[in-house]
Amino acid sequence: MRPSSFKYLVKQGLASVWHNRVNTFASLCIVIISLVMVGFAVLASLNISRLIGSIEQRNEVVVVILDGTPDNNISLLGSKLAENPNIFEVNFYSKEEAWIDMQSEMTADEQALFDYITENPLPDCYRVRVSDISLLSQTVSEIQAMDSVELVKAPNDFASILTSVRNVGAVVFAVIIIALAVACFVIISNSTRTSVYARRREINIMRYVGASKSFIRIPFFVEGLTIGLLASVVAFGLTWFAYVEIYNIATDYLKSWSFFTSSGLIPFKDLALATGVCYLACGALISSLGTVMATRKHLNV
Amino acid sequence: MVEFKNVSYTYPTGQHALQHVSLKIDDGEFAFIVGASGAGKSTLIKLMLRELAATQGEVTVNGYNLNKLKSRKIPELRRTIGVVFQDFRLIPSMTVYDNVAFALRAIDAPTKYIRSRVPYVISLVGLAQKAKSYPNDLSGGEQQRVALARALVNDPQLIIADEPTGNIDPERSYEIVDLLKAINACGTTVVMVTHQHDLVKYFGGRIININTGAVVFDEVIGGIDETQQL
Repeated sequence: MRPSSFKYLVKQGLASVWHNRVNTFASLCIVIISLVMVGFAVLASLNISRLIGSIEQRNEVVVVILDGTPDNNISLLGSKLAENPNIFEVNFYSKEEAWIDMQSEMTADEQALFDYITENPLPDCYRVRVSDISLLSQTVSEIQAMDSVELVKAPNDFASILTSVRNVGAVVFAVIIIALAVACFVIISNSTRTSVYARRREINIMRYVGASKSFIRIPFFVEGLTIGLLASVVAFGLTWFAYVEIYNIATDYLKSWSFFTSSGLIPFKDLALATGVCYLACGALISSLGTVMATRKHLNV
Repeated sequence: MVEFKNVSYTYPTGQHALQHVSLKIDDGEFAFIVGASGAGKSTLIKLMLRELAATQGEVTVNGYNLNKLKSRKIPELRRTIGVVFQDFRLIPSMTVYDNVAFALRAIDAPTKYIRSRVPYVISLVGLAQKAKSYPNDLSGGEQQRVALARALVNDPQLIIADEPTGNIDPERSYEIVDLLKAINACGTTVVMVTHQHDLVKYFGGRIININTGAVVFDEVIGGIDETQQL
């Protein structure tokens, strides 16, 4: 194909965006709504997953060290704990610290009960945090098998509840996202089909004057691509605006829940690039391929 | 050249549209195809354009054996044919110039050639002043002239005119056939489908009458036009 012909076809495609402005507007709205809906479902799932993750990271496993373990064995145990791939934080908690902390939490009457105890009865401990709470019981077993460990105290019930919440959440969001994506694809393909159907006569004429299938498809592809790209830019703007608003409201609200304050929602700047690229790719791909696929039926003349 | 050898066509519904049709239209001929509605005229045209493939027999158009023609080669065949329809089939969003140029762009013609050829053909059909108009601003006769210019612009070997005068007033109908006759005089084969017997009687020439899917009459007759000229 001559460059001049290609240029002409691209120009035709761009001109069609304006000529068929009613259909263009309808397609634009549908693609924008679809992208924003699916986009928000994905962003919500990412945020919920992060919140659950932040709760998970607050888990604490207490590794009680056998009384009388020499200092070098205690250090060795600390190194072994740190080497475990599922442990991301190891803190030594000496019996002296534990004694002071315990006394500071006691009332004067309670402290009086301990006046007769001259020797610190508490054991040395390691406080560790696991990165994947679903592997907690496996990690606990591994710790129990280590030398110098007397006892491991782990929040097993909490872990299993969180794991269930995370799994159910993942499934629910996956179903919602897939259902929305399918619904959007059907709506977009129907919209492009309607747009192409309205111009079947034009396609028919092209076929009669001897235009090849690619010659007919290129302007439709360009038109679809333009609509898709425009829609993704608008959808990105809307998502940005709405997300920032929701982020500000939710952040204020979550501040009162100390549980979440360390993490909160994901700031939009961390998601902007990925969201923009996904919107552009999905908008362009769905619109252009949808339009080209819709022309197929009318090309067999 | 158009040749049908014992051609039959049956629609998927079981309707026999053409049965054992054999005819040959030589290069440079002008032939009227006449017949009542549902006689099989449109099917004949669709077979020539390879919109349909014969269920039996052999169709050859401009050297292409349409029975063996692959789908991707159909545009190549159609570039050797200019088609004019009863309903003009112009693209309303394009000017007269662009509608005509479109047929050349579709065959990837160089821009320079398009710029020189299109105004020439538009002036041939007498619409030089309307090159920038849109189809909806033109009369039926003018629209048909644009369609004719589009059919002519890539210098086809064959022009198929399917009821080209069906949507225009009788006076303009004669002008359209006159134009087709003039095109034919330059060596282009013209096949014109019509049910306007007065036109056929007036212009005369080769008449192919189709009735219930079969050729029932195929002869050359003298027209009133010729008689008047004598």
